[in-house]
Amino acid sequence: MANQETKAAYTLDPVTFEVLKNAFVNIVDQMAEQILRTCYSFVIYSRDFSSALCDPNGDTVMQGSGDIAAHVGTLHFTAKAVIDAFGDDINAGDVFVVNDPFAGGTHFNDTRVVRPIFYHGELLGFSQANGHWADVGGAVPGSFNIKALDHMGEGLRITPVRVWDKDRYLADVAHLIASNTRAPKDIIGDLQAQAEATRLAEREIQRLCDKYGVNIIRTAFSEVQDYVEQLTRARVKNLPDGEWETEDYIDQDPVLGEGLIPIKIRLKIEGDSIHYDLSGSHPTISTFLNAAFGGSFAAIVAGTKIQFPDLPLNSGFYRVVTLDWGPEGTVVNSVWPTPCAGFCSGPFEKIMNSVFELWASILPERAMACTFNLEYLLVGGRDKRIEGLPYFMWYDWMVGGWGGRNGKDGYGATGPVFGVQLGTQPFEGQERLAPVLTTGHELIQDSAGPGKWRGGLGAEKGGTLYSAERAVVSYCCDRERSVTWGLWGGLPSIPHGVWVNRGLENERYLGSIFSGEPIFEGDVFTRPSAGGGGIGDPLLRSVDDVLEDVIDEYVSIARAKTDYGVVVRETDADLCEYEIDHEATQATRISIAQDREGWLDVDAESIAQKYRDRELNEMDLVRQYGVILDWGSGELLPKTTEQFRTMLRRRSFDFWRNGMPTGARA
Amino acid sequence: MSTKETDNGVRVAVDVGGTFTDVFVLDADGHTHVAKTPSTPDPMDGVLKGVAAAGVDWKDVTLFSHGTTIATNALITRKFPRAAMVITEGFRDVIEIRRGNRDDLWDTYKEIAPPYIGRRDRLVVKERINYAGDVLTPVDEVQARAVANVIRKRGIKTVAVCFANSYANPDNENRMRDILLEELPDLRVTTSSEVHPEIFEHERFSTTVANAVLSPIIAPYTEGLARELADRGYAGDVLLLHSGGGVMTAKMAEKFAARLAASGIAAGAIASREIASRCGFENSIGFDMGGTSTDVSLADRGELRITTEWYVEYGYPICFPSIEVLTIGAGGGSIAWIDDAGSLRNGPQSAGANPGPACYGSGSGLATNCDANLVLGRIGTQLVGGAMTLDVAAAEAAVVAIGGPLGLNAEDAALAIIQVANANMADAVRLISIRRGYDPRDFALVSFGGAGPLHGVALAKELAIPTVIVPPHPGVTSALGCLLVDVQHDITKMYLKSANEAEPAVVEEAFQELEASGRERLEHEGVTPEQMSFQRFIDMRYQGQWRAMSVRVGSSIVSMDEAIKEFHAEHGREHNYSREDAPVEIYRLSLRAIGTTPKPEMGRRAVIEGSTAEPFEYRNARYDELPDRVSTPVFNRDDLPPGFEIDGPVIIDQLDSTTVVPPGCRARVDEWMNIQITIEEV
Repeated sequence: MANQETKAAYTLDPVTFEVLKNAFVNIVDQMAEQILRTCYSFVIYSRDFSSALCDPNGDTVMQGSGDIAAHVGTLHFTAKAVIDAFGDDINAGDVFVVNDPFAGGTHFNDTRVVRPIFYHGELLGFSQANGHWADVGGAVPGSFNIKALDHMGEGLRITPVRVWDKDRYLADVAHLIASNTRAPKDIIGDLQAQAEATRLAEREIQRLCDKYGVNIIRTAFSEVQDYVEQLTRARVKNLPDGEWETEDYIDQDPVLGEGLIPIKIRLKIEGDSIHYDLSGSHPTISTFLNAAFGGSFAAIVAGTKIQFPDLPLNSGFYRVVTLDWGPEGTVVNSVWPTPCAGFCSGPFEKIMNSVFELWASILPERAMACTFNLEYLLVGGRDKRIEGLPYFMWYDWMVGGWGGRNGKDGYGATGPVFGVQLGTQPFEGQERLAPVLTTGHELIQDSAGPGKWRGGLGAEKGGTLYSAERAVVSYCCDRERSVTWGLWGGLPSIPHGVWVNRGLENERYLGSIFSGEPIFEGDVFTRPSAGGGGIGDPLLRSVDDVLEDVIDEYVSIARAKTDYGVVVRETDADLCEYEIDHEATQATRISIAQDREGWLDVDAESIAQKYRDRELNEMDLVRQYGVILDWGSGELLPKTTEQFRTMLRRRSFDFWRNGMPTGARA
Repeated sequence: MSTKETDNGVRVAVDVGGTFTDVFVLDADGHTHVAKTPSTPDPMDGVLKGVAAAGVDWKDVTLFSHGTTIATNALITRKFPRAAMVITEGFRDVIEIRRGNRDDLWDTYKEIAPPYIGRRDRLVVKERINYAGDVLTPVDEVQARAVANVIRKRGIKTVAVCFANSYANPDNENRMRDILLEELPDLRVTTSSEVHPEIFEHERFSTTVANAVLSPIIAPYTEGLARELADRGYAGDVLLLHSGGGVMTAKMAEKFAARLAASGIAAGAIASREIASRCGFENSIGFDMGGTSTDVSLADRGELRITTEWYVEYGYPICFPSIEVLTIGAGGGSIAWIDDAGSLRNGPQSAGANPGPACYGSGSGLATNCDANLVLGRIGTQLVGGAMTLDVAAAEAAVVAIGGPLGLNAEDAALAIIQVANANMADAVRLISIRRGYDPRDFALVSFGGAGPLHGVALAKELAIPTVIVPPHPGVTSALGCLLVDVQHDITKMYLKSANEAEPAVVEEAFQELEASGRERLEHEGVTPEQMSFQRFIDMRYQGQWRAMSVRVGSSIVSMDEAIKEFHAEHGREHNYSREDAPVEIYRLSLRAIGTTPKPEMGRRAVIEGSTAEPFEYRNARYDELPDRVSTPVFNRDDLPPGFEIDGPVIIDQLDSTTVVPPGCRARVDEWMNIQITIEEV
């Protein structure tokens, strides 16, 4: 990597280079379009997939422009894994499959189909189609087993394996893979859809070779990587050198008892290079919220890429952005046989949001507070509506609020940072497929983290189970305790967590990570997605913006006062008429400013009692008092509370005292 | 629909675009003439002025057909009256939650457009229907009337009623509509079960909301236009081009206002198909290149591709079947630039009319495709028949500024700029053609729009398309598209069933029901039974897949075998493989109800082989094919008779465009006055 500035000039003429670069983008996007139109896995259909062209070393030449964030930065690892496994025994018409997180994959569901591209007998590179198969076996449907002791309990580990041998389909191998999943026919369908997508790429590359000559294409594969490297370095060079650090938390390791699980991250910019370091992060935990090296690197790449949204992604970018994972055996660098299917809800989300925070100091014009955590809920059982009581799966993930931005509120109800195309599923489709009557899908008033620019709103979605038996519910999420945080003095939003029969006699709180909890006909389950964290002191938010939010019922009159210190009175709701009491507002804002630092020192147990007595709600606790409870029982979590309060002080006090940082918009 | 039985009058088509209003007139004797006038703030004015400019007397007009961007513009600018939405309690925010996606994955500072109706005007009512269409909770009448009262107090005049699962049973939505109309007789009410009776709440609600906000704009416009034209002596119906590629009468347009949302885009695609078809090409690609963008469409065996995924703003789909048009940000005004890594880029930023390309003398210094073409001598220094003089020195300076860092002189830099632009456009065309399994060698490229004929041949060469057709009036071709279409309605019905289990008799009955409602709509528009025809389509997929493909089926269903066979074949063509052994599922039935409008013969000119013409000048122009400039004859298109043939290089100028025929190609003027260019090496 030494002295990139003196790197030899491009050898391709500018027109050929530009034409081929665009052609490569076009090819990976054509692969994406084909997969979208032919896939079987509804998870793939919801855009949980990625496509890449790799060079003969496995390095990525181009990655799809619509690829899911959680896969970026990992496709070269799996191409290299295939090369390592098969060496010279890679032939035209071969197709390989790999899903191994311990070889640079993400989790078992993300199954990569890799095809070598040959031109007149010469290996030019690889095309790769990676998609999240809906099920890859293991102990639970969907292959998300939070209780897995090791990866054997999660699903089928596919180390690099050949499925087409010189165009001959190895039905026995495919059958073995498919037979270890819950929907073998769909798996074969997806395997074929992905293999065809890689073939499309091979054909297109061969066409380009016919037209431009193979040498030009080989050169372009390499120079397109140089180009991205050079483009990235040019940007980084203009940034100040320096070192930044922060930490974020996974909620808990149930085996260790309450207490947040820290992930530490350091960033160093030196000249034209970006280096991250995850040393000091917590050891591997007992749930499946661990990441192997691929998943952590994906988060680093995705978080950094957001700072440079216009740059294409390939291995040139990874030459500039490097990572030290720290020692093996941590939540961010777990090794065989640690379960890590939940990397996406655990370390991935924490690292990515931390990267946002680090860059807020470097590029304040792109600052963003924390975004809601990826979550998914699965209700499965037997469907009594249909003869033969077939299995049903109500598998649902939510969109939620994104962090407030410098000069703009956050996006409301949008797909997770894990992959913004991972949108909601229509409940009308779900109601046909499962005996669940949707109780609602609506934004949650006051769910946005307050700030000068507030977060986006989260939503609530749930249902009533009917005509079902032997049903269980499982949930993979996080941030019921390490609540979605604000930046620059902005406040947290709301905790995640699943409720059954909330507000009814037989109320049950199930938390943010559990599996196989029984659920019965007539039970009503629901959960929120968090709003985004706020950015900047909420007392600095314009009163007119608060008023508009009250009119649209994004913010209640009560919380306009508690969170923003703005006193609003209703005149005629039918006509959307409200008015601000400016005098009372001024007084309220002064009083909040005087008292709020002290609220973080109030005896936490007394606050917990007020929650149990329903004098305070969870928003008061996380935003005003920094107190974290078991939200079901109301029991105080003292260690977690202390950690959370420290976090709030670190992210708020300076800005409450001194106002907005340099680079903040007025 | 009233047209004179013995139709020997004048037919007029007007396409009102954002910048220009194009008028296309077809005389009783088959002669065509055109006019182009600047669009006016009031689109109705534009229509009247345009037709006046074409010298047509409304009393002679027997058919008036109209493409309009009025609906599209209202959605883009969000200038529409305040509207309300009434939704099932618990689902107030379905249209704000959307599918939760963003179109830009990485730029967290790009905004998501807000829904067309804000939260404050989304009012909820208790009611519920389940997936099977059973009423679990009837409409809460007290709450419904309270909602009506709020709407009254707010003075809102148009409402979208969007209830859960209403595609399965419209009763609750109908009840809500009745209550609203009882309370507020003048209210415009759009129900989701009428507008788009299909599963998936966001897509249905979003379509309904677009319809509700547009209805108060379209209705007075069409009524006003009909009145104005009647006053001037036009006795027929005002026909409006809709996104599905047919027309509908003003009466229907009012009810299905959102069907006009892609009206303007559809016109060019239809024109392209018609032009190619007359030249004997049933397969054609439409390439409509304007100043800032290019629209690409594809006709396969005479049929334009249709999509139901269409939107004006990302996240708010309008699900009426629409002609598939791929719009890319590349046009004559696209700007060439050098990025941070020193690579040559082209577009999508455009110089527009203001400040305009460097050669417009605006001092913008922006090197656009237009400047590069000027430097290469492919366009002359006089534009629009001499109304505008282009500044070659300014163009050269701008192009040199781009070429300098790459070590290119002005001419090579200009060549590079155009080559990058052409390659980008070729990639886009590939997406809609090769990508879908169509072989470009079987297609003709219809090149139009102001800049299309300049780039068409280069693009065709890149894609191995053997023939390029440049219509007589490239700049007003779209308006022609409005003229030659039928009344058309697209009606669909959800039908989720395994294809093997589907009873042909039941499917037949479902189609007959669709035909009955199609017939009703056509009758409502005055279409006589003899003019009616119906086309049936079944949307199918492999069981377990998520996307369905539409397959055309015959006019009576006796067995499902044919449809299944056709599905395998289509899947094979479009995706390069099929799974003959995998079970196939039916997703949806759709019907196209057509009311045929009488079509006149276009004037065909007598071809005289060996016709000659003289160039009005010679210009030194540079081509990709040759290392140096060559002296090129430049003709005035008006001087070229049918049957005239010439080998490239040749340049043909006309008022609204310039056609470049590079070396190695042969151009011929056909009996329809198109220039057909044959590319020899393909």
